[in-house]
Amino acid sequence: MNKKLASAGAILACAAIAAGCGSSGGGSTGNTVAGVGSNGKTVTPDMAKNAKGNVTWCIGKDTTGAFSQVVKLYNNQNSGVHVKLLELPTSADQQHSQLTQREQAKSSECDILGMDVIWTAEFAAQGWLRDVTPAINARKSEFIPATLGTAQINGKYWAVPFNTNAGFLYYNTSKVKKAPTTWQEAYQMAKTDGGLGYQGARYEGLTVNFLELLYSNGGKVLSDDGKKAEIDSPQAQQVLSFMQQGLKDGAVPKSNSTWMEEESRNAFQNGKVALLRNWPYVYALAKQAGVKFDLVPLPKFGNGQPASILGGYNLGISTYSKNPGGALSFINFATGPAAQKKFFIKSSLPAVITQTYNDPAVKKAQPFAPELLKAVQQGKPRPVSPVYPQISQAIYNNVYSALSSGTSPKSALSKAQSQINKALNTF
Amino acid sequence: MSAAQATVAARPRRRSEVSERRLAAYLVSPSLIVIAIVAAYPICYAIWLSLHQYSLIHPGLSRWVGLGNYRDAVTSSEFWSATKITFIFTVISVFLELVIGLGMALLMHAAFRGRAVLRAVVLVPWAVLTVGTAMMWKTIFDADLGFANQVLQALHLPGGHTVWLGQNGYAMAVMIFADVWKTAPFMALLLLAGLQVIPDDVYEAAKVDGATAWQRFTTITLPLLRPAILVALIFRTLDALRIFDLPFVLTQGSNGTTTLSLYAYQQLTQNRLIGPGSALAVLTFVIVMAVSFLYIRLVGGNIRALADET
Repeated sequence: MNKKLASAGAILACAAIAAGCGSSGGGSTGNTVAGVGSNGKTVTPDMAKNAKGNVTWCIGKDTTGAFSQVVKLYNNQNSGVHVKLLELPTSADQQHSQLTQREQAKSSECDILGMDVIWTAEFAAQGWLRDVTPAINARKSEFIPATLGTAQINGKYWAVPFNTNAGFLYYNTSKVKKAPTTWQEAYQMAKTDGGLGYQGARYEGLTVNFLELLYSNGGKVLSDDGKKAEIDSPQAQQVLSFMQQGLKDGAVPKSNSTWMEEESRNAFQNGKVALLRNWPYVYALAKQAGVKFDLVPLPKFGNGQPASILGGYNLGISTYSKNPGGALSFINFATGPAAQKKFFIKSSLPAVITQTYNDPAVKKAQPFAPELLKAVQQGKPRPVSPVYPQISQAIYNNVYSALSSGTSPKSALSKAQSQINKALNTF
Repeated sequence: MSAAQATVAARPRRRSEVSERRLAAYLVSPSLIVIAIVAAYPICYAIWLSLHQYSLIHPGLSRWVGLGNYRDAVTSSEFWSATKITFIFTVISVFLELVIGLGMALLMHAAFRGRAVLRAVVLVPWAVLTVGTAMMWKTIFDADLGFANQVLQALHLPGGHTVWLGQNGYAMAVMIFADVWKTAPFMALLLLAGLQVIPDDVYEAAKVDGATAWQRFTTITLPLLRPAILVALIFRTLDALRIFDLPFVLTQGSNGTTTLSLYAYQQLTQNRLIGPGSALAVLTFVIVMAVSFLYIRLVGGNIRALADET
């Protein structure tokens, strides 16, 4: 009897609590079916001119101290705006959840949001970002055009590129005599000269590696209007069979299927592979390890154009910011020549503006700068979509199953196609 | 004692009983409020979330879908595959932990020099954080530089080039291995406590009657240890059903290691599908509740049966 009463009480309590949050948490009030570009909050260059007050910059952990140095430099200018750095965790997933929690709560704590390039579409779709199109247009020629692609949705810019990244092909010069110019050549060399490694574990990195070959072969993930999947194409089949064949031939070692960035770097440094697709950070570490190597921007697939997937971070201005002008003033500084040079040299965060790559001090500190500029210029963004995480999962899950469990490319891609279409129909 | 006397005596007692009960309620209420806030509210809120869809495309929009998210979950192959994987992991790892843990407990129970040291040492794996354990085994089972393959190669044994974490079956085996290594000592500790309450004279009587060591084990130790075994099984089974950290670190769920908790995490945190993700979390909760309910019935029955015998 008592037990029954208690469970009835629990159900009642549950209902009461649920009803309580119905009014606040449910919040399905407005009927506006507004997509990206609805909040009507635009940031113009003029707003930065006479800006005053405090600004908080929220971005991942300042591991090298460069972020706080640049903040200090800015504050010392006494422009009237005072910037405070708010460090988020090191892990990208954690940064993402910290930022989304604040924005969902309509918090004005973060004026400037440091976002991985792949979150930009999601944040814009949620209405958390201010339109910065006029601010970008005023300085458009400074930026490497490819980097702007990661911040552009529906013809408008929702963030300012802050740093970028692009893949390189590293090769061990004691085993490989000349840099390959096509992926076919690279795999051929790998077969005879000691293997090729990339990020082949089932995660975001595999999506990046697959897309680099796919884009170079003229393939696509989404249709031009972004409304449906177009990944199930002859180009994609060709790329996936090629990657499958590489594993069968022994051009790519079997253990590649467990490698992320660090594992593949270790394999390169230990001589397990003679060629390696990886990010620029490998340069300094492989030099330290005493490997004799050289690097080139990624090769092309067959007769296509070479393509590298862009990484990096964008800076957005929160809709809930109380000081968008001040935020823009700092963003302009942080993406300007002095700060970009500092980030590139001190933290190895590749610059988004062209002129930094020609700076002698930068070239001295990062000798691969000219190659990197080329790689970034031929860079392509990953599909810009609010449901990008699901799209990427559809890609890496199915590519992985084709590479490791021998699923046929045709059926892997048609599965990816239907999963992406399902993701695009997410409410 | 007359009836009148009884009522006179009872009245003040009843009054004090009522006030005592009220006092008890006052004293307990802060804890109940805390439990309501930290346990009941999140559970109810998760259930509420699981009945909705929150838009990823349209800012701030949500809609009531009733049991739609649950329907989507139970009709998807991912959910059933994750359930199957979770149960395979649970059954095999808990069984191995029980067998190994029982062996360790019997060993620790035997009187010999250095028993105290052994008891302390055995607990070390359990004291290490699971994430730490997972990182360690990930390194050990690395295909190229890992200790496991190096040893196999040095001893010229087959399998020295196995990509442990990159193949179906092997990845699960490593996950089970890591879990057994870590939690068998915990099982052993719980069983040791059970062993220590079995009186010695029962064994002595059996010896006098000429029972062999095996007979003593099967007819005395195991039956008397049953309640302790069931408690240990509950603890381990519920833990194993919620396994998240091992697959998260070892494989990110690749090669047949996506457990229910990991799948719910991917939907909730990575894809931000709050409704469907919550539905998965609630389903996991229901499965864990159902299993623990079964166990409790089993244990309850057992303890009662035990009490009746004595």
